[in-house]
Amino acid sequence: MNKTTRQALNWLIVLIVFVLLMALASALTSGDKIRGVAPIGATAVGIIAILILYFLTARSVAWEVGTRQVVYMAIGAALYGLFNYIFNTIPMPSVSQVALRPSVCIPIFFGYVFGPVVGFFTGAVGNILGDFLTGWGVYPAWDVGNGLMGLVPGLVMLFADKKRSLNFLTILVAVLIIIAAALIFINPRVVGPWTGEIEDFSFWAWAFLIGGVVVIALRFLLERASVDLAAVNLWGTLGIIVGIGFAAIADIWVNGYSLATAIIGEFAPAAGPNILNAMILVPILLAAYRAIQARTGR
Amino acid sequence: MLIAWRYRERDTIIQRLDPRARIIFMVAMLFSIIQFWDLRIMLAFLGLAMLQFGLARLTWRETRRAWLLISAIILFMTVLTFFTGRGGIQEAYQEEHLIRRLGPVTLPLTGWQLHLDITAEKSIFALSQLARMYAITALAITIPYTIDPSLYGVTFRGLGLPDKFAYAMDLAFRFVPTLGRDFSVTLDAQRARGYEVERLSGGIVAQIRRLAPLLVPVVINAIVSAEDIIDAMDLRAFGIGPRTWVHRLAYRPADRALILFSGLIFAASTVLAFMGVGRLWVPQALLRLAGGG
Repeated sequence: MNKTTRQALNWLIVLIVFVLLMALASALTSGDKIRGVAPIGATAVGIIAILILYFLTARSVAWEVGTRQVVYMAIGAALYGLFNYIFNTIPMPSVSQVALRPSVCIPIFFGYVFGPVVGFFTGAVGNILGDFLTGWGVYPAWDVGNGLMGLVPGLVMLFADKKRSLNFLTILVAVLIIIAAALIFINPRVVGPWTGEIEDFSFWAWAFLIGGVVVIALRFLLERASVDLAAVNLWGTLGIIVGIGFAAIADIWVNGYSLATAIIGEFAPAAGPNILNAMILVPILLAAYRAIQARTGR
Repeated sequence: MLIAWRYRERDTIIQRLDPRARIIFMVAMLFSIIQFWDLRIMLAFLGLAMLQFGLARLTWRETRRAWLLISAIILFMTVLTFFTGRGGIQEAYQEEHLIRRLGPVTLPLTGWQLHLDITAEKSIFALSQLARMYAITALAITIPYTIDPSLYGVTFRGLGLPDKFAYAMDLAFRFVPTLGRDFSVTLDAQRARGYEVERLSGGIVAQIRRLAPLLVPVVINAIVSAEDIIDAMDLRAFGIGPRTWVHRLAYRPADRALILFSGLIFAASTVLAFMGVGRLWVPQALLRLAGGG
């Protein structure tokens, strides 16, 4: 049995045990029951999708961890932790409630240039280091969220070239937007998260469609300047949305926030400024790195 | 710029414990705490977390800044949840008993009417949420002050992290002072040229762009010098076989007892939560106040 088959079997066993535990917990305990097979089916589909993605990309250099990656992981994490500490400590101006968070460019840059493993490590361990320096402590959900901010931009390495990765992103954004808008148009009247009363959400379907068109237009606009610029900005933005989104949603379980609190209190104030800071600083960093790379040839 | 860790050597019962046992304890406590909403259980967890904090002999003076900053966030989030919902992915309570209604207040221009219902469930949920978040914070804050940074690599290796990742973690902790010094030199050099980080002018985009002279040299210098480290590690055949570590960790009876206790707490919490124990508890007095008891 080769390594890939053994890993596939391990994953399959994890999936079966997980689904069995869900069913057992539902059957043997009081409280909320799993209704129908939908939740189990959705979990199984999610795990199988991750499994397929892993096997399709298992041999990619993106997942390689050699000496080079180990050193860049350490340097990335140290830089991210240090900048988190410094820019939280020294007095910085703030414009129109948009905080200056330059450190966010580090995990995105390291993920994009050195791969998803380096990006994840830079974000996760760098966040731990920063919290250690400030004395804030350890918060696992935010460490993983910061890791995802670095991992997602690194996924660009799974594609043969940057342009293909942009095509994939464009299709992904278009499909997700169409699904979201269609779901809202089919059933526009649902219970509002703010008021608890039945409301019409048709507006949001149009907002999604317009937002999607803007994002796709932005891709082509940036691409005219440079494919690298378009790729790093779009993958970086996706990374921030996924990473901060994960941490904010996780806090609904961990801290018991309402959905509105997670969005207003954590996601929006963190993701918005982070995207702006990253979109300005990562391309500058990337240009400097490419210049050095061309000079040293490494 | 002097970059200093918060860790100080103290001869306390907490610092004498194996760091692996302490990480296991923290994770077990975290996953136990998030299974409950009962204020009485939350206070028990908070007591346990504060006991650890006290036994570590951490003073208010050295942790004040962290406590104040985190308290501001905790209070803001609790108030926001009080205004916007019933908390948790599946709402922590379904029925509400009204104590008092504030408002309505009519917003100018829009004409929207806003009112705030203070209910027994909402109030007790806010208290439970406060206790839960402070318990998690007390657990989290203790770690950086009491675990030696030079032990993180070997600790996480001992907890099952692969050699290369544990080594990278160790390396990251060791790079911090050097990179801090590089940052300081860069900051001084830029200041000598008239650059003032405290007085960045222009709009938000211009201000962010003006941070590049600080960031870019430090990052690029670190990447360039990384090549020498990679060469040195390759010459020593890094990653060929299993690593040995300078520090060796060994479990003692007290560590095993702590791991057992952590396991028991987590198992008991999971069983109790499955049995439906520990959901939101509303005191009868509060229900009577709302006229529902």
